[in-house]
Amino acid sequence: MDEDILYIEQFLGGEIRGFEMLVRKYQNRVLNIVYSLIGQDQESEDILQESFMKVYHNLKFFRRQSQFPTWLYRIVVNTAYDYMRRRKNFISDEGILEMSASAAKGPRDVLLTQEKEAMIQAALGNIPLKFRAAVVLKDIEGLSYAQISEILHCSIGTVESKIYRARQFLKNELFKLAGE
Amino acid sequence: MEKCAKIKRLLSRYLDKETAASDTSLVQEHLDSCIFCKKELAQLVRAKEFVSGKVRQILPPDYLVCRLREKIASQKQAEEKFSWVAGMGILSRRLIPVPVTAVLLSLVLMILSFQQSASSYSLEEHMLSGNQTTLITAAGLILGTQS
Repeated sequence: MDEDILYIEQFLGGEIRGFEMLVRKYQNRVLNIVYSLIGQDQESEDILQESFMKVYHNLKFFRRQSQFPTWLYRIVVNTAYDYMRRRKNFISDEGILEMSASAAKGPRDVLLTQEKEAMIQAALGNIPLKFRAAVVLKDIEGLSYAQISEILHCSIGTVESKIYRARQFLKNELFKLAGE
Repeated sequence: MEKCAKIKRLLSRYLDKETAASDTSLVQEHLDSCIFCKKELAQLVRAKEFVSGKVRQILPPDYLVCRLREKIASQKQAEEKFSWVAGMGILSRRLIPVPVTAVLLSLVLMILSFQQSASSYSLEEHMLSGNQTTLITAAGLILGTQS
């Protein structure tokens, strides 16, 4: 039996441990998706927590027609979207400045890493929201077009188009960075 | 150039190894002979690597589990409290209507009897007068408004 299904069965049988194992297994993957989508540390953790609370409450409705991670990522992306709709200031300039400021305190290699991180995050933040999730799920999480289409509730052709457009934006961002 | 436009549209998918076998060979053949599409592919590779090279965030193994445990416990506590209050609500919904109805009924009767005694033309007087009793007259007499 699939490990995830085993944990789900445990949880549905009344053992909280099953849920906790799922959390431990997926927490970092989910965090990276959320962080790439919204780019704010504290908020990312809040969304992460909110997403897993939704999983906790809705796991009994998981129909196993799709794989557990696909179902989980759908919850995560929707939770992040809801958050962004509420806030409408997802990657703020202050956030990026904050990252650069904290980077300035560390040693040189840390500084370079954090500056690069800030650049990547800023570039991702410039991709329109409707294209961003697709490229994040592809390039950060390495999912297939079919899985992404399930998560985003759209056709594979639409996924392809979203990733294509997102990469065109990224290309332009890289040109800008190279020009500076 | 028309072919380049078609191939460029396929490059992102080709890079992700998501093209059909026929498209894959078409792209590969074209790339062997087209320097512009090759350059485009190199830029897409760079864009992909730029994003996938992002440093992964890592949480301590039990960090989130502990936060979730606390949250679940507090939610359960709130639910229990709510169910106790709700239980009281059901009890009160069942008990409150009886005294409330009794009080309201008493008030209505008191008002009616006060108006009846204050009225100069009582039901008894009307019966003795031999006048015709219409529905409106009867209602007026009962409510004590007919004078």
